[in-house]
Amino acid sequence: MTLKKKKILKIGAILLISGLLIGGGTVLYMFNMPHRNVQNASPDFSLTASQLVTEYLENPTKANIKYLADDGDSKVLEIKGTVAKISEDFNGQKVFLLQETTDKAGVSCTFTKETSKNASTVQVGETITIKGVIRSGASYDEDLEMYENVVVEKSDLVK
Amino acid sequence: MKKVSFLLSTLTIILVLFAFTPPVGRLVSSKTHIKFFSHTSVEDIQANNYASVSTIAPTTGDVVFSVPMQSFEFEKALMQKHFNGEDFLDTKQFPKAKLKGKITNIAKINLGKDGTYQANVEGELTIKGVTKPIKEKGTVTVKGNKIEVQSTFSITLADYGITFVKGKPASNIAKTVEVTVHAEYQSE
Repeated sequence: MTLKKKKILKIGAILLISGLLIGGGTVLYMFNMPHRNVQNASPDFSLTASQLVTEYLENPTKANIKYLADDGDSKVLEIKGTVAKISEDFNGQKVFLLQETTDKAGVSCTFTKETSKNASTVQVGETITIKGVIRSGASYDEDLEMYENVVVEKSDLVK
Repeated sequence: MKKVSFLLSTLTIILVLFAFTPPVGRLVSSKTHIKFFSHTSVEDIQANNYASVSTIAPTTGDVVFSVPMQSFEFEKALMQKHFNGEDFLDTKQFPKAKLKGKITNIAKINLGKDGTYQANVEGELTIKGVTKPIKEKGTVTVKGNKIEVQSTFSITLADYGITFVKGKPASNIAKTVEVTVHAEYQSE
């Protein structure tokens, strides 16, 4: 074997190994990819609960195209509204319903276990601004015979 | 005298009305938990949803669940992306799943009396725009003003056009997944 051939083999081996490492690393990263941190993301839209509900009730198809993403990482919204109801879900997360009395539906904002503490002093009737990710829109459901609220999750208070 | 009899008859009418008013109004729940669980020898996968809405009409037994599909959360972000994607649940196109059914033995369930009752539900389940008939059992628990419903059943993904023929999902996701439903209702 000539020296040249040896050199080519060596380079080939190095390329192969580094390729495998990068490939394997990418697969591992993809598999363990962390969830998007909604609170670190800057909001795609900033609006009031009323505006969002109106957009959905007027044209749900258009609103879904605007706000929902194919992979579930939908738009991050900054929403201002009046607290109409405060509750807690089965996961111990606080849920604030932002709804004006003149609106048919509101925006249901679920906080996380961590962010729920930040909103512990919020009272019904207060006006607050939250940031979270939209999961689904508002609509009248004829089977439920009621208006469904916009669902926003991973929320936190915006100071 | 006329006044008294008028008063009496009004009172009687009111009392009669009250006597026939069902003890419980329409039941609404926004406190819900729906879980998907898939078991294969390769791995167990689960997803949780706490944002569904449900109603029960106590007189007719009509029961409805509306489920925002993007609210299902997985441990792994990539799985969640796959779940929402066009090849799987296509949640941008079909943001909500719906169960519309009837508790067929509602007459045997006394929502005004504490106890645990078995409920037979028949109806339709719509996922990804595909509607299939379902017939499942659940439990209704009445304790004071609190009414809870619990049910566990299986769904075959292929019935709803969710099929994996190749790649990792084909071996890692079960063909039939277990669905657990839990909802707490309040009378309207």
